[in-house]
Amino acid sequence: MSKILAVSALIVLSLAVPASAHRVDEYLQATIISVERGRVQLSMRLIPGIAVSSTVIAGIDTNEDGIISETEQQAYAERILHDLSLSIDGSRLELRLISIDFPTIEEMKQGLGEIQIDFTANLPRDEANHTLILENHHQSRIAAYLVNCLVPRDPDIRVLAQHRNEQQSFYELDYAQAGGRSDPLYRKWLSDVRGWMGAVGFASIFRLGMRHIAEGTDHLLFLLALLLPAPLLVVGSRWAGFAGVRHSLLQILRVVTAFTIGHSITLALGALGLVHAPSRPIEVLIAVSILVSAVHAILPLFPGRESAIAAFFGLIHGLAFATTLGQLGLGWWERVASILGFNLGIETMQLIAVAAMLPSLVVLSRTRAYSVLRISGALFAGCASVGWIIERLLNLHGSVDVIVDSLAHHAVWIAGVLFLISLGCWSLPNILDKQATGSESPWQPTLK
Amino acid sequence: MNVLKMRTIRSVSALALICSSLIAARAETATARIVSAANVFLSTLDPKQRQSVLYAFDDEKQRANWSNLPTSFVPRGGISLKDMNATQRSAALALVSSALSRRGFEKVRQIMEGDEVNKIKERNNPIFGKDLYYISILGKPSEKDPWMLQFGGHHLALNITIAGDRGVLTPTLTGAQPALYTVDGKTVRPLGQESDKALALLNAFDDTQRKQAILSYHLADLVLGPGQDGKTIVPEGLKASAMNERQRAMLLDMISEWADILHESAAAACLAELKADINETWFAWSGPTTADPGHNITAYYRIQGPHLVIEYAPQRLGGDPSMHVHTMYRDPTNDYGRRLLTK
Repeated sequence: MSKILAVSALIVLSLAVPASAHRVDEYLQATIISVERGRVQLSMRLIPGIAVSSTVIAGIDTNEDGIISETEQQAYAERILHDLSLSIDGSRLELRLISIDFPTIEEMKQGLGEIQIDFTANLPRDEANHTLILENHHQSRIAAYLVNCLVPRDPDIRVLAQHRNEQQSFYELDYAQAGGRSDPLYRKWLSDVRGWMGAVGFASIFRLGMRHIAEGTDHLLFLLALLLPAPLLVVGSRWAGFAGVRHSLLQILRVVTAFTIGHSITLALGALGLVHAPSRPIEVLIAVSILVSAVHAILPLFPGRESAIAAFFGLIHGLAFATTLGQLGLGWWERVASILGFNLGIETMQLIAVAAMLPSLVVLSRTRAYSVLRISGALFAGCASVGWIIERLLNLHGSVDVIVDSLAHHAVWIAGVLFLISLGCWSLPNILDKQATGSESPWQPTLK
Repeated sequence: MNVLKMRTIRSVSALALICSSLIAARAETATARIVSAANVFLSTLDPKQRQSVLYAFDDEKQRANWSNLPTSFVPRGGISLKDMNATQRSAALALVSSALSRRGFEKVRQIMEGDEVNKIKERNNPIFGKDLYYISILGKPSEKDPWMLQFGGHHLALNITIAGDRGVLTPTLTGAQPALYTVDGKTVRPLGQESDKALALLNAFDDTQRKQAILSYHLADLVLGPGQDGKTIVPEGLKASAMNERQRAMLLDMISEWADILHESAAAACLAELKADINETWFAWSGPTTADPGHNITAYYRIQGPHLVIEYAPQRLGGDPSMHVHTMYRDPTNDYGRRLLTK
C-alpha cells in the first residue's frame, strides 16, 4: 500500500511540480556546533532545493550512474571538509570526519533529500577564553547557511558572544573555559558525569525504575510466584516440607540475582539500541513467564533450575524495561547513565518487595498452612497471567490490570497481615509441619 | 416517628446523591472529555482503520513522524480525513477540537482551509487539500496514563501528549500558505496574530533595545524544525529582563498564540510556567522591520526561554515571503511531554 502511495506520489510529482511546496533555489547548509572541553563537534545538514539539485547531484554522483557509491560519498565528504575552515584563536584545526549519510538521488531531485555529515576536531583543555571561527564556502553561489551553537553541557564552558556575517558563511564563537588546570581528564570525567546526571535527571530515572516495578505488577508477580516454592523441598514430583532457613535464603538470593542478571543484560542491550524487540510479543511472553512460575509453585516443573528459569525470563522482562527507557529518547551516553539509574531503581524496589515477603515466607513455610498460601498465591498469579495473556494477545485493555493494581495498592497492608498470620500459625505448635526436617531429607535437589 | 426519620434520611441522601453526581458530571475534567471524544472516534472506525490509527505509546518512529511538507512527500501515520466517512470525520474533528482551545481549533481549521485555497490555486493539485490531514493515537486514551494525539498534514503538526490532567503541545508546527486568503468575502490570516504581535513588540522597543533584538545576519529557515528534537541552542537577541513591564506582557501575549492552542486548563499551567521564567526569555529578529498593512511580516524571529523555543520563519518559496510562513513551538525540556513521563 505504501509502495503504491510512494509511486503515485512520484507520478504526481513528475506531472506537476508545485512551486510552493518546498525549497527551490537554495542549497541550505545548517550547522550545529557543540563545544566540550577538548573537543568540538559540527553536525551539518545539507538540503539542496529542487532548482539547484541537479547542480549538487552532478558534484556528488560524478560518474553519473544514478547511484551515490561509497567512493563518491567519501569524495564529497572530502570536498566539504576542504570547503570548511575551522580555527581556534587564529590557528587552523584539523577536521576529522565522523559520519556521512546520503539520501537517494531521487529524494534530492525532489528537493527533499538531506545529507547529514558530522565532523570533529580537538580543542584546548586549558582555563582560558577562546575564539572559535567557522568559515563555510561550500557551493557559496547557491548556499543558504545557518550556524548555531548548542548550550554547552559542561557548566565550566560559557558562551560569551557569537558573531556572524550576513550570509552566516563566517561564524565566530567566543567562549570561556573555567577550571581546566587541575587534572583535566578527571575534571572532564566529572563534568561529563555531572552533565549526564543533570541532563538525564539521574534521580528521576531512579524513581522511574522504582515506579516501573511498583506499578508494573507483572514483573513483581513473576518474581514472587517463583519465590513461593523457594523454601521447599521436592519429594517425588511434589513440593514437600521446609528445606531449612539457610537453604531458603540461598535459594531466594539465587533466584533474585539470576533475574537481575537476566534483565540487566537485555535492558542494557535494548536501551543502547543493540537489540530491539516489538513490545506486544514481549508483553505476552512476560505473562507466559508468570503462568510458568505459577504452575511451578503448584507442581514442580523444573526443581533445582529456578535460577536458570529466572535468568531466562529476566532476559525477556529486561526487554520490556528497555522500551520504557527508549521512550525517553536519550543520547548514547545519557542512556548508559540512565541504564544505571533505572536498574538501581528496579533493584531497590525489587529488594523492598522481596524483603517484605521474605519473613512471612520463611516463617510460614515451616507450617502446614504454607501450602494454603503457596497454592492460593500461585492460583492468583496463574489466573492473572492467563487474563494478561488473553488481553495482550487480543490487544484488549483493562480488567486484569485494574484488579491486580488495586491489590498492589494495598501491598504494604497485605504484607503486614501476612506476616501477622504467619507468626500466628507458627506459634500454634499443632500445625507445625512434622515433615519440616530439611537437613535429614535425602532430597536436596536445589543445592546441586 | 422512627419511620418518618428513616424516610427523611433516605430522601435527603437520595437527593444528595443526585446532586453530587450532577456536580461530578459537570466537573468532568478536560482530560476526561478528550478521552471520551477519543473513544467515540475510535468506536466509529472499522477494525482495520482502528489498527491504522493506533500506535504503541513507545513508538518513537511515529512520534517523530511529522513535517511541514505535503503528505505525499512525507507520508504521515494514522488515517486522513479523506479516508473517513462523514461520521468518522466529524468524530475525528471533535476529538481534535476537544484537545484544543476554541482559538486553537480555529487556527488549525484556517491552516487546513488555506491548503484547500492552495490546491485550487495550483490547478487542483492533489497533493494539497483540507482533507489531507492525518490523525493518529499513541498509547491508549486514558485519564491516568500518558498517551498521545497527533494531527497534521501540510503546514501542520500537532503533537499532544496527555498525562493525567496535564497536557503538552510541544513540539508543534504551524504554517500557512497562503498566509492571507479570502473565503466568502472574509479575509483570513491563519498566523496573522503571530506576525502582528511580533511587529508591535519590535515597534515598542527603544533604539538600544532594538539594536540588541535585531540580529545582523540572515536566517533562511527554521533552526529547530522537524527532525531537530532535543537541541537547545544558545539564545540570542534581547533578553526580557531588559524590557519594561508592558513589553514583557506583549511578549507573553505573543507566546500565548502558540501555548493557547491547547485546551484552556493545560494551556494555563503551561503559560504559568512560561510567565515565571519570562525574565530569562529572549527575543531575536532578523529581516525587514516593516510590513505592508494587513500582511504578514517577511522577517524571521525567535523567542527562546528555559522552557520554550518559538521560531517564525517566512519562506521565500512561492515568491512572496509574506504569504508563506513556517513556525515551530518547542520546549527543549519537555518535547513530547518527556518531563511528565519521568516525574
